[in-house]
Amino acid sequence: MEEHLLVRKIDMGTVIDHIPPWKAENVLRLLELDKIKRSEYSLIVLHNVPSRKYGRKDMIKIYRHHISHDEADIICLVYPTITVNYIRDWRVEKYKPKIPEKIVGRIRCPEPTCISNSPREPIKSRFRVIGELRAIQCEYCDTMVEFERMADLVIRREGS
Amino acid sequence: MLEPRYGEILQYNNLRGKDIISARDLSREDLEAIFRVADSYEENPSTYRDLLKGKTVALIFVEPSTRTYHSFEKASRILGCEVIGIRDPSISSMAKGENLYDTIKMIESYGADLIVLRHPSRGAALYAAEISRVPVINGGDGSREHPTQAILDLYTIYRKRGSIDGLRIGFLGDLRFSRTVSSLSYALTLFRDVEIYYIAPPMLQIRREVEVYLELRGVKYTKITDIGSAANALRNIDVLYVTRLQKERFPDPGEYEKLRGAYTVTPEILRIARSDVGIMHPLPRVDELSPELDGTPNAWYFDQARWGVNVRVALISLILG
Ligand SMILES: [Zn+2]
Repeated sequence: MEEHLLVRKIDMGTVIDHIPPWKAENVLRLLELDKIKRSEYSLIVLHNVPSRKYGRKDMIKIYRHHISHDEADIICLVYPTITVNYIRDWRVEKYKPKIPEKIVGRIRCPEPTCISNSPREPIKSRFRVIGELRAIQCEYCDTMVEFERMADLVIRREGS
Repeated sequence: MLEPRYGEILQYNNLRGKDIISARDLSREDLEAIFRVADSYEENPSTYRDLLKGKTVALIFVEPSTRTYHSFEKASRILGCEVIGIRDPSISSMAKGENLYDTIKMIESYGADLIVLRHPSRGAALYAAEISRVPVINGGDGSREHPTQAILDLYTIYRKRGSIDGLRIGFLGDLRFSRTVSSLSYALTLFRDVEIYYIAPPMLQIRREVEVYLELRGVKYTKITDIGSAANALRNIDVLYVTRLQKERFPDPGEYEKLRGAYTVTPEILRIARSDVGIMHPLPRVDELSPELDGTPNAWYFDQARWGVNVRVALISLILG
C-alpha cells in the first residue's frame, strides 16, 4: 500500500515525507499551519503508512501552500529523515534542507532566567546549532536543547 | 607621559573598544596583556593616575554586589574617569518598570564611554552589548558568567605560580550555579595541559554546557560527586577553587546541613592535599573555609581579593586606552 493509493497527486503545494511515525503533529506545530488564514489551502496528514525506507512513516501534504526553505531547514533539524518536495504545476522539485547556523525568534528558551524570556525587553530568542551534538544552544544563556525537544518549544506566531 | 611598558602593551592591544561578555571571548594574548598591565600598575601606580581623564564609566548594577561595584568604581576613579552609577535596583527606575533597553539607551545619552552591567538574568550582558554603542563589561549575569572575576582568578594563579600551563585545578562546592566556575573553566581552556576536577554533589555538579565546551576543546576533566572519594584528586591538585553552597538551592534544608560540613576546607583537607596547594575563593565566604587556613601560605583568597582593582584598572585602560 503506497501513499498514492491513499491520496491523489496534487498540482501545487508541499509534500513533507519520511516523518517518523506519529510525529506529524509536531511538524505541524513547528510549521504553525493552523495560523495560516487563507481559505484556499488544505492539509492532509497520513499517519503510520508503510515506508520502503523506514518501515513506517507519517506524511503531510499541504495543498496550495509552499513552506519556506527556512521552515524546511528547521523541521529537518528536528527530524533529519524528513524530505521536502515542492510541487508546481504537477512538477516535483526536491528540496535539500541545510542545517541552519542560527535559529532566530522561533524557539523559546527553556531557561526561565534567560533574558530572552523577559517580556519587558524587545528581544528575539537566538540559538546556535551544534550539529555534531544534535542540539541547539541559546546564545544568551548557553542552555542546550536537543533537536528532539525543539518541537515543544516553538514560539507561536501571532495569527496572520 | 606613559611608562614605556604600558605604551608598548597598548600597541598590541586587541581589547580596545571590545565588549567583555564571556570568558570565551578572550584569547590567551588578551589575558597576558591584562596581566602585564596589572603588573605594571602595581609597580608604578602613578603612571595610571588620571590616564583616562574625561572618560565616563557607567556602572549599572541591577543586582546588588558591593565588592564588584566598588572594585570597578575604584579602578575607574584611579584612571580619572567620571563614574555614573545605578546601584540600588529597588529605588532605580528599573524597579518602576523601565526595561534594560531603555536604561542602556539613557546611559548612552549621558555620554558613557563604557558600561559595566550586573544583572540577574542570564544573557543580559550580551543583550546590553547588542543594544549599546559603547563597550560593555559583564559584571555578572545571572548564574551564567562573571568574566572579570575569572581574569582576576587567573591573574592570582599567575602571580602565585608564575604560570597556568600544566596545572591541575579543583573546583569544590556549588558548581552548577556558580558563574565564576563557568567563566574560569572556559578561560582555562586557553592554557596548555590543564586538568580540571569538579568536586560537588550531583545536584550541584558543573553544567552540561561547560562540559561540552571542555570536551569540544579536548580539555581533560573529572567529576567527583562524593567528597569522600576526592582524596586522590586532592593529592594531585595545584589549586583548589572553593565556592559557597547556598541554602536556597536545596529543596531539603537537612540535605544542606549534611553537605555544609562535608564541603568545608579544613586543616585535615590541607594535610591530604599537596603542601603547596593554593586555596582560592571569590569571597565573601560563609563557613566553607575554616579560619585556621587564613594564616597559612595556602590561603590565596585575600591576595585574590586585593588584586581585584589592579585587574580592573588593566582591563578598563586596555578597553578605553
Ligand atoms: Zn536562553
